[in-house]
Amino acid sequence: MDTIDDLERQIQELEKANRILTKKLERSEKNRIQLEETHERQQRLLYQAIQGLERSLHELQQAQLQLVQSEKMSALGNLVAGVAHEINNPVGFVAGNLCEAQRSFADLCDHLNLYRTQAPASVLEEHAEAIHLDFLLEDLPEILTSMEVGCDRIRNISTSLRAFARADKDYKVPYDIHEGLDNTLLILKYRLRANESRPAIEVMTDYGQLPLIPCFPGQLKQVLMNIIANAIDALDEYSNGLGYEAIEARGNYIKIQTSVIEEQAIIRITDNGKGISEEIKDNIFDYLFTTKEMGKGTGLGLAIAHQIIVEKHGGLLEVNSQLGEGAEFVIRLPLTDC
Amino acid sequence: MFQVVVGHSNDPDGVAAAVEILEQCKSALQSKTPQAGILFAAPELDHRIILEQICQTFPGIQLIGGTSDGEISSLLEFQQDSVTLMLFCSDEVEFIATVGRQVSQDPIAIARQTAELAKAKATLPPRLCLTSPESLTTSGVTILEGLKQGLGQEIPIVGGTTGDQWQFRATKQFFGTEVLNDSVPILLLTGNLKFGYGVSNGWHPVGKKGIVTKAKGNVLYEVDGQPILEVYQSYLGDIRPSPEYRLAVYEPEGTHWYMRSSNGHYDHASGSITFFADIPEQATVQIVHASRDEIVNAAQVSVQQALERYTGQEPAAALMFSCTGRLYVLGTRAKEEYVIVKDSLNQSLSLNQQLPCCGFYTYGEIAPLKLQGESQFHNETFVTLLLGCQ
Repeated sequence: MDTIDDLERQIQELEKANRILTKKLERSEKNRIQLEETHERQQRLLYQAIQGLERSLHELQQAQLQLVQSEKMSALGNLVAGVAHEINNPVGFVAGNLCEAQRSFADLCDHLNLYRTQAPASVLEEHAEAIHLDFLLEDLPEILTSMEVGCDRIRNISTSLRAFARADKDYKVPYDIHEGLDNTLLILKYRLRANESRPAIEVMTDYGQLPLIPCFPGQLKQVLMNIIANAIDALDEYSNGLGYEAIEARGNYIKIQTSVIEEQAIIRITDNGKGISEEIKDNIFDYLFTTKEMGKGTGLGLAIAHQIIVEKHGGLLEVNSQLGEGAEFVIRLPLTDC
Repeated sequence: MFQVVVGHSNDPDGVAAAVEILEQCKSALQSKTPQAGILFAAPELDHRIILEQICQTFPGIQLIGGTSDGEISSLLEFQQDSVTLMLFCSDEVEFIATVGRQVSQDPIAIARQTAELAKAKATLPPRLCLTSPESLTTSGVTILEGLKQGLGQEIPIVGGTTGDQWQFRATKQFFGTEVLNDSVPILLLTGNLKFGYGVSNGWHPVGKKGIVTKAKGNVLYEVDGQPILEVYQSYLGDIRPSPEYRLAVYEPEGTHWYMRSSNGHYDHASGSITFFADIPEQATVQIVHASRDEIVNAAQVSVQQALERYTGQEPAAALMFSCTGRLYVLGTRAKEEYVIVKDSLNQSLSLNQQLPCCGFYTYGEIAPLKLQGESQFHNETFVTLLLGCQ
């Protein structure tokens, strides 16, 4: 049997345990309240963080759009001199022909006035010879036709530039990729011509049967412009190391081939320029990567092209090349919106 | 000889707790008489009774201490609402306790005089100073400055400011049988003392660094000319400032930094936030981040540093000062701090029995950041101090 002392000790221990438990309960209640406050604060913090992330995402998307648009305008800026030259040619011959047409028209008016004054046949005959009436009647329609051709060329260039510069809608629209390729080639035409260091670059197109492709046409033309302009750069650089005749013998060319394979529109743009090394190929679609001289390349062109094809269109952009053996860029686009 | 014993009771009754810790200590002392002691107790306990019981049991004991937010010992490990006592016996080390009262009236001068008085009473040159000063009535940084002036910059000062379990109303300091507030008790150690200290917090700076362009004491107004409340709101949105607002404050040399954490007070009109301790103008500051694992691991880093810096071979005891802010963040994991320290000590020292340990959760930790460096005031930090004669 327990002694009284033992029992007293047990009671004291139980009393102590009771005091400790009561205190722990009190502490536990305090902690619970503190936990609830912390939880509420964390919830608000989480909400703020989510809102902040959403805002940042939106700003990032806007910034990306602006970046794409400014790269496009930068590419266009680089072309301004060439395009101005391209427009000046037809403007020149329209202006030249206009003077000729005005003179011819004035001679014709004089001749008509002689008829109205019922001048004698000999006077009419003499005037007709003086103004070369037969040649004039034959030449004037040709002058007008040639002016019309010049105006058409100016209009085409203007339309292409406007189409290129135009911002896309925020949804995809069906688009004729061949039209995009032709527009781009028109804008770049002056760069394809012969110059003092190399003969003209031959463009070979082999267009297959492509349906209208759902896309952002402005962005897609930006990609085509970038790849074709890079091909011209590659051919220019390659030509720098060779003599004019050597280049003429091998021929500079850009081949553009389109086709449909397995529900994908394929656009192959091939050049026989200097080609791309393995090392450069690994980085070619990276942001701010450029092999061009300072001030010539932004390092954004192919990175944005890749982003446009892969992220915006769910397609693929690949490069196949070996150093010294030209390069092939392959764009694969889904035929249906994804 | 340097013997250290520990008592620890979680009995909320002051008398019963005093009896329990004294029985534990007497049993471990085996009739030796301790010269000095340090007591950490929860704010709600009857401190006067506990102090009187200790001083009656060991007349003439040099006793300091204060109220705490949590207590640590090698007996009950981590506890809250408890009381823990560490007693020191040595024939090679001298202990002198002094106290500065109403320290807020002139913190630097009063702290300096307190240190000078202890030095004057000592028969040997000072080696180390332990302290548990007031945290609410005045700045811990200025108290520390006064102590450094009184002792000399080369004497390490280690300890922590007293707490009141997040009430921020009144904390108490102990000196002999006296229960004080607005005071700075110190325990100066001289003689053949070996020691080593470690300081770590586990936090790491993130985001942009800024320069403090306006601060007064522990109230921070502007960083880079922008109200600090706005700076935080740009990170955290419209959330009330709380102890989660922490800053790394870089030392002028630009590499080492110490922590400051907010006590939750702020002023919308001036855009200022009040911190637990002073932040100097022109200091570089940066927001900090840590996971709970990193915070717990800092305790281990701290004890490893202390072991590496220990000037002898075999420490006889360990004192620990951990921030109440860490306790707040760690919650139920706070107990892991002591466990990790205990495991680390056991592994490194291969002892037959547990090293006597004692410590508390403070409103500000004090220790030099580096060896032979000046003592520094910290927040959110774990400080380990190893003591011995061998």
